[in-house]
Amino acid sequence: MTNESIWVYIQLNQDKIEPTSLQLLTKAKQIAEDKPVWAILLEPTTLTAEATIQQYGPDNILRLRDDRFAAATDEELADALEQVVTQYNPNSFLFPATTAGRSLAPRLQAKLQTGLTADCLDLAFDGDTLVQVKPTYGDNIMCDIICPDRRPQMATVRPNIFKAVRVPNSQTEVVSATFTFHPETTMTILNTTRLISQTASLSDAQTVIALGRGANQPKTIELARQLAAKMGGVVGVTRPLTDDPQFTHDQQIGQSGQTVAPDLLINLGISGAVQYTVGIQNANRIVSVNTDATAPIFADSDYGYVGDATEFLEGLLAQVK
Amino acid sequence: MKIVVCIKQVPSTNDVKIDPQTHNLVRSADGVINPFDKNAIEAALKLRDQTNGEVILLSMGPESYRESLLEGLAMGADSAYLLSSRALGGADTLATGYPLSQAIQKIGDVELVLFGRQSVDADTGQVGPIVAEYLNVPQVTFAEAIDLTEDHHLIGKRRLDAAEQEVEVELPAAVTVRSEMNQPRYATPRQIQKSFEKPLTVWTEQDLDLDPERIGLAGSPTQVTQVYAPAAAKKRVTMLTGTPEHAVQELLQSL
Ligand SMILES: Cc1cc2nc3c(=O)[nH]c(=O)nc-3n(C[C@H](O)[C@H](O)[C@H](O)COP(=O)(O)OP(=O)(O)OC[C@H]3O[C@@H](n4cnc5c(N)ncnc54)[C@H](O)[C@@H]3O)c2cc1C
Ligand SMILES: Cc1cc2nc3c(=O)[nH]c(=O)nc-3n(C[C@H](O)[C@H](O)[C@H](O)COP(=O)(O)OP(=O)(O)OC[C@H]3O[C@@H](n4cnc5c(N)ncnc54)[C@H](O)[C@@H]3O)c2cc1C
Repeated sequence: MTNESIWVYIQLNQDKIEPTSLQLLTKAKQIAEDKPVWAILLEPTTLTAEATIQQYGPDNILRLRDDRFAAATDEELADALEQVVTQYNPNSFLFPATTAGRSLAPRLQAKLQTGLTADCLDLAFDGDTLVQVKPTYGDNIMCDIICPDRRPQMATVRPNIFKAVRVPNSQTEVVSATFTFHPETTMTILNTTRLISQTASLSDAQTVIALGRGANQPKTIELARQLAAKMGGVVGVTRPLTDDPQFTHDQQIGQSGQTVAPDLLINLGISGAVQYTVGIQNANRIVSVNTDATAPIFADSDYGYVGDATEFLEGLLAQVK
Repeated sequence: MKIVVCIKQVPSTNDVKIDPQTHNLVRSADGVINPFDKNAIEAALKLRDQTNGEVILLSMGPESYRESLLEGLAMGADSAYLLSSRALGGADTLATGYPLSQAIQKIGDVELVLFGRQSVDADTGQVGPIVAEYLNVPQVTFAEAIDLTEDHHLIGKRRLDAAEQEVEVELPAAVTVRSEMNQPRYATPRQIQKSFEKPLTVWTEQDLDLDPERIGLAGSPTQVTQVYAPAAAKKRVTMLTGTPEHAVQELLQSL
């Protein structure tokens, strides 16, 4: 018997909940109609993530506890998940399309012999069928994918596409799962070093100053840094600028970089290729400066200025408090 | 030591369009090796040179995929297999991982299977972990560096979402490779010449004794129901005017 619940995998990055998992709880509740939403939590006993998860309103938290989850391999996680999926038979199972999610979900998919759609940008139910919207060809083309005959319907979903909304649910029931932890004997995690991540600050930032190839002069970059410091924001870049050793891939915005969702985004010297603009769709207000009045970036902007990026930056630095 | 590198052929550009009449994808016919798979080939060649091993390329796809296999042989791989037949066509990642893993088992004594981190067209990154699961071996995904130890283990460095991780696995194992790992070599004219003499074997589902229910369209749980151009949710832009100072003033007033 299929239980019609929608499952969301709660990814833990050491002791922190991956924000995408909370975003997925909100999205699952929005599309659920009357299907219950379950948060699936694999947690060491030193942690209690339940209270935070409950803030996002799932009907159930299915908790698998074992201290070895503090540093478990993909195989160990997939094995534990397989055990609970076959006990409860959920309708669908959503994962963050993070490094961890994209490693774990396909391993589980193969165990369960079901379908998995990668890196979805949207999800909706058509009856019991989950319609999964997935970009391909470098986000140039969208497609709808379904998995009509097998369960669960699995998907990984791109970070920061949906906003996590707090709707505390006092009815959330925490269920302890029965499972056996099977250690993977041929693999050892030697160490995990937390990165002081610019990624996190870029995807969480409320103000982002983004630089493109038309704003790659040392002076321009320096001014952008000063402005970011003054406004409490961070600097992001387009892909060509990651060739400059002072920027890393972590600062890249776009399809193969980060998705940003700031209140204010200022694009300087950026043409507006689709691989870039897909990463800025969730920015609230977008200001773009480009010397070329026909640059496609203006079509994605709330405010535009045809002119030199450096001069505009100087103007901002002088006038912003 | 035998190293298998799985490679996919992808369109040479992602600049695909939808035909407004037929709603079919219009894409360039010419294919290239998926860029990340070149990093995987490079990693395999380096390990081979350390261990006196053998690098075997494996791809599933139409006859035209020979081109990419030849290119990989010209980079220095020793031999290649192409899984190709009508019955294998239309596969999703699950129905791609199954024949690949069966072929790896038939090749035999494979100690390391390398993949790119993902393809640049369908972009799922799922095939590597699926094959690892079917082969029942440990996986090191999104690896930035790999090294072999004396005692038949592999040390891999992975980049996770907010962390860097070092892992040690006993071979056999599967690894998916990030482009940060290396700079793929170019084929020399002499290697290109030699590539045509290297063994390139074509297998069909019959050679692999595959379950017909698990291959091709029939073995694919996912279905693509619609393909379309992204909706252009364009904004209405207000242009700022005058000198940069004036434009900034205008902007700050309206924000
Ligand atoms: C598979 C794939 C994935 C990709 N992923 C990404 C990604 O994640 N992120 C990404 O950014 N790109 C990505 N790209 C690359 C993308 O296609 C574009 O090439 C890139 O975004 C262009 O960067 P840009 O706008 O900085 O440079 P350009 O396109 O060169 O634009 C520079 C702009 O600056 C303007 N300009 C010049 N001088 C000045 C000046 N003095 N003041 C103001 N404006 C000026 C010019 O008019 C021009 O519009 C990807 C490509 C592929 C194929
Ligand atoms: C528009 C579109 C969307 C799709 N979306 C999905 C989806 O969401 N889910 C799904 O299950 N399938 C999907 N597919 C099917 C998928 O493209 C094929 O299964 C494909 O054969 C493998 O997937 P991939 O390109 O994502 O490879 P990835 O899993 O991204 O490739 C990772 C690595 O696996 C190896 N590899 C991949 N393919 C082959 C091959 N044919 N031969 C040898 N090695 C290979 C390479 O080393 C490659 O670097 C989609 C297909 C299309 C046309």
